[in-house]
Amino acid sequence: MGEVIVITSGKGGVGKTTTTANLGTGLASLGKKVVLVDTDIGLRNLDVVMGLENRIVYDLIDVVEGRCRLKQALIKDKRLENLYLLPANQTRDKTAVSRQQMIDLTSQLREEFEFVLIDCPAGIEMGFKNAIAGAEKALVVTTPEVAAVRDADRIIGLLEAAEMEPPRLIINRLRPEMVRKGDMMDIEDMLEILAIDLIGVVPEDQYIVISTNRGEPAILDKHSRAGQAYRNISRRLLGEEIPFINWEAGSFMSRIKKLMGLG
Amino acid sequence: MLEFLLRFFGRDTASSKKVAKERLRLVLVHDRAGVSPHLLESLKNDLIKVISEYLDIDTDGLEVSLTHENDAVALVANIPVLRVKRTFKSIQEPAFKV
Amino acid sequence: MLSSNEGETSAGISQGAIPFGTRAQPGKDNQTFLVCRTVRSGQVIKYPGNVVVMGDVHPGGEVVATGHVIIMGTLKGVVHAGAEGNEKAVVLAFHLQPTQLRIASYIGRAPDDGDNTGTGGPEMARVQDDTVVIEKYQPGNEKRWLTQS
Repeated sequence: MGEVIVITSGKGGVGKTTTTANLGTGLASLGKKVVLVDTDIGLRNLDVVMGLENRIVYDLIDVVEGRCRLKQALIKDKRLENLYLLPANQTRDKTAVSRQQMIDLTSQLREEFEFVLIDCPAGIEMGFKNAIAGAEKALVVTTPEVAAVRDADRIIGLLEAAEMEPPRLIINRLRPEMVRKGDMMDIEDMLEILAIDLIGVVPEDQYIVISTNRGEPAILDKHSRAGQAYRNISRRLLGEEIPFINWEAGSFMSRIKKLMGLG
Repeated sequence: MLEFLLRFFGRDTASSKKVAKERLRLVLVHDRAGVSPHLLESLKNDLIKVISEYLDIDTDGLEVSLTHENDAVALVANIPVLRVKRTFKSIQEPAFKV
Repeated sequence: MLSSNEGETSAGISQGAIPFGTRAQPGKDNQTFLVCRTVRSGQVIKYPGNVVVMGDVHPGGEVVATGHVIIMGTLKGVVHAGAEGNEKAVVLAFHLQPTQLRIASYIGRAPDDGDNTGTGGPEMARVQDDTVVIEKYQPGNEKRWLTQS
């Protein structure tokens, strides 16, 4: 029986889809059988980030409405043997699928796969409720910005109300140099405010833009520091104890400043 | 010159991070009070029901909201009264006898 | 003007999908639907006959026809010609760079190496020897395959 994990954030544009693509690729490269489910019906993106958009024939709606079998709609990743994608439909909207249908779908998927990662749409309406319906675990993605943290807090409240396991936090797009200057909230600030467990911190990385352009998750690149962070999160999802990279630990220069008593 | 040096070494007087954190804290106190518009609406309807037993009120002009002052939450209702009823409804008999 | 009635077109946009046209008689071939706009992501044009798009088909947009599909612009979305099994249907576009191209039950997709630019000129896709082939469009040759729809 596999685990169903929903990746959510409330606010849009904080990196849910990128996170889903990278963690799915990470878990699959660690040998797990993984399926990614895009529940952002009407605004699908996961297929593009994975570079699989030209293979879509059937989608999630076709499955729940019985136009095809589940196996027919699953798209095999072009790089990893044991990674699959169930794409969202682009022409309908969130009301096209019901909570019960999502519960049925995820329970079918968890028999086949070790990890079912659900990419949740932004917002707290129907799409969100459907996305979390079949999941027992949740990862909340936020960025160190007031609006994103506020929405994350709202989402955490809703997840708790839905009686799921306590969600874990991913802080995305942290800019260590800004944190050092005191111009960005640091990890401690956010953990204090949100009061949930941290599973990883992903630094801002230009390589994410490049990898999205190419349709290849950044985790596959050894030089990407975001990729490194995602590799660590993947292993933590498997229960391994991986020490956190101290992104805030400052460069050589800032350490000198500290020595001088100025930093 | 000193100011320049401090700025150069990244020690701004009021760091925007602190501002962000303070603002968030305030906003979240509000959010976590957790009163949904739906709950306020049904509270409003119940208020109208009770008050109109005693007063004629302008139900369209009625406003109910929660405010926060110094970390305390207060329920503020603004109820325009049209006229005071002269006769009150008699209190209902209990539906069953003891 | 060959355009189909406007009401149907605009109603279709708001729905995201255009229902099979009321003007076409079921079972009657050679009905053509003229679309005078860009087909954007999430929009689907479905028609029991041929479809001509005077504009582009963006990524995420879809054109489904039981007959031929002609795009007077750039095709970057998904096109399904001969959707009810007609293997003689063709897809023609000024710039043929589809995400995916389907004719009857055959599916072709863009190559993974990103080289999807083609010859730069008008191109035509049709089924030959059980695969979708794309070739440069040669005016005058169409008689060979356009006769049947």
